[in-house]
Amino acid sequence: MSPFAALLRRDLAAMFGSGARGGAALPVLFFLAVATLYPFAVGSDARLLAETGGGVLWIAALLAALLPIERLVRPDLELGLFDQLALRGVAEEASLAARILAHWLSFGPPLMVAALPGAALMGIEAQTLLNLELGLLVGTPGLAALGVMAAGLTAALRSGAALGGLLAIPLAVPLLIFGAGSLDGNADGALALTGAASLVLLALAPFAAGAAIRAARE
Amino acid sequence: MHGYANPARFLKIARWLTPVLLVVGLVLAGGALAWGLTQVPPERLQGETVRILFVHVPTAWLGMAGWTTIAGASFAYLVWRHPLADIAARAAAWPGACFTAICLATGSIWARPTWGVWWVWDGRLTSFLILLFLYFGYIALSNGAAQSEASRRIPAIFGLVGAINIPIINRSVEWWETQHQRASITAGTSSIDAAFLWPLGIAVLGFTCIFGGVLLARMRAILAHSQAEARLRRKAMQP
Amino acid sequence: MSWKPKHQRMALLGVALVALVGAVLLAMWGLRSQASYFYVPAQVESDPPAVGQNIRLGGMVLEGSLGQADDGVSILFTVHDGEAQVPVRYRGILPDLFVEGSGVVAEGRFTPEGTFVADTLLAKHDENYVPRELEEMTAAQAKAAVAETTK
Repeated sequence: MSPFAALLRRDLAAMFGSGARGGAALPVLFFLAVATLYPFAVGSDARLLAETGGGVLWIAALLAALLPIERLVRPDLELGLFDQLALRGVAEEASLAARILAHWLSFGPPLMVAALPGAALMGIEAQTLLNLELGLLVGTPGLAALGVMAAGLTAALRSGAALGGLLAIPLAVPLLIFGAGSLDGNADGALALTGAASLVLLALAPFAAGAAIRAARE
Repeated sequence: MHGYANPARFLKIARWLTPVLLVVGLVLAGGALAWGLTQVPPERLQGETVRILFVHVPTAWLGMAGWTTIAGASFAYLVWRHPLADIAARAAAWPGACFTAICLATGSIWARPTWGVWWVWDGRLTSFLILLFLYFGYIALSNGAAQSEASRRIPAIFGLVGAINIPIINRSVEWWETQHQRASITAGTSSIDAAFLWPLGIAVLGFTCIFGGVLLARMRAILAHSQAEARLRRKAMQP
Repeated sequence: MSWKPKHQRMALLGVALVALVGAVLLAMWGLRSQASYFYVPAQVESDPPAVGQNIRLGGMVLEGSLGQADDGVSILFTVHDGEAQVPVRYRGILPDLFVEGSGVVAEGRFTPEGTFVADTLLAKHDENYVPRELEEMTAAQAKAAVAETTK
């Protein structure tokens, strides 16, 4: 088994386990909780719910992806995992790329499944649901990269979790705008822009987080 | 260039350059604002409200120049590891955030009578609001790193990442159909009448001098603070 | 790991560069085919939005089209983009910049008859700043004067 796959397997086992980095079910539960709460807050006007529901699900997905920031990098930094990996000749960038993939696997596909009951609770139309699923498919990898980047930048800081959200949210705005923008009407252009924002974050995140962790280890 | 990176030499120059920049900036900006408020004719369609131009445009420029300073200094710090570069980035954050906030506020006040609304979510306004949040994120991260005595390279990395927003702000009026009008001044040509362009140019120059003066003053303050801390630490080490 | 950390970084950098190029291409394509901030009358004609759907309509106010509706409160005008025209009905306070011949963005929806009913009007300013004195001149003179200053 290649070392990258080994790292990925280890990350996934940690995320789906019950240890310090566990709790992969949390984002999905959070997402479903928001989808359930929203109709209580705005009332049961079916037309209003169907019209605004897609956007609310996007916000819920964004916040759900940022929820585990605190657990993404910090426990391993404190355990000295990155020191060990460095000794064994694994670049931080490579281990963080594996972590981005693991983080995405832990919440991306589950959220896409959870969006089905979520959409049913809001009474969202089939075409809008399809656009929502496509948007989540291209947008959530960017959210995963952003989460790992914010986690890496704040891992060495005492005020980690809240700060991570503050760093990630402005950079998540383009994903939200284009993702939610693809829900109605002309979806192709907005989906392409969601994908572009996602790719930029995926390209930057391993290097930004890797450099931050190298700086934190000194 | 590396000669100026010596803190002692930097302080020697900054000591006299700071007041010069501040005084020149205040005179130029004050003069341009007085000119703009009293002498400039009302605009063809907007009438008197056009005068807010002389605050809105310089602060918009400095809001973006502030992050460009952060990004440039952060890059220099990450590559050459020179502490002055980090201090420059740290010093640029608050003035940049203030100018960004002033730009957003004046823009909003200007939009109400001219466009008919306080705010629209178009590409230019949204990307500029994101710039303000990036400043807040940078300031919080920089302070957090200082409190945790973490590496100064951590905020520098965020300063570089946030720089992707600058070209987006700049090109937003070309890429999207925005409520905000397109650039009036582009490489050598301007669609602003000379009656507005002259005071505007002087206001931009004046505000830029003020920004430079505040930047240098803040850099000196941060340097003095860290030197005082180092001295205290040395004292504490002595038996 | 068989590769040295430096080589891992180089490989990842290569992947990142490919991703960035892909992002630029996607963005260029996406910007061209995205749903625009507002519809212009020509788009309304070629690809009409659904009746009742909330949209923005942008264009120029046709000279001489501004008038009052029968109810005495609403105003009627025509928005054009040089190719097509759309009749608009609006009830409310007009922004300063709203004059015949100026740019406007109207938020609202189409009625089945093809009239656009606006809830909000946003006057759109162009990138030209011209003193009021120049207004006294004829349009051609003003244009020449503007051209003079913008050389």
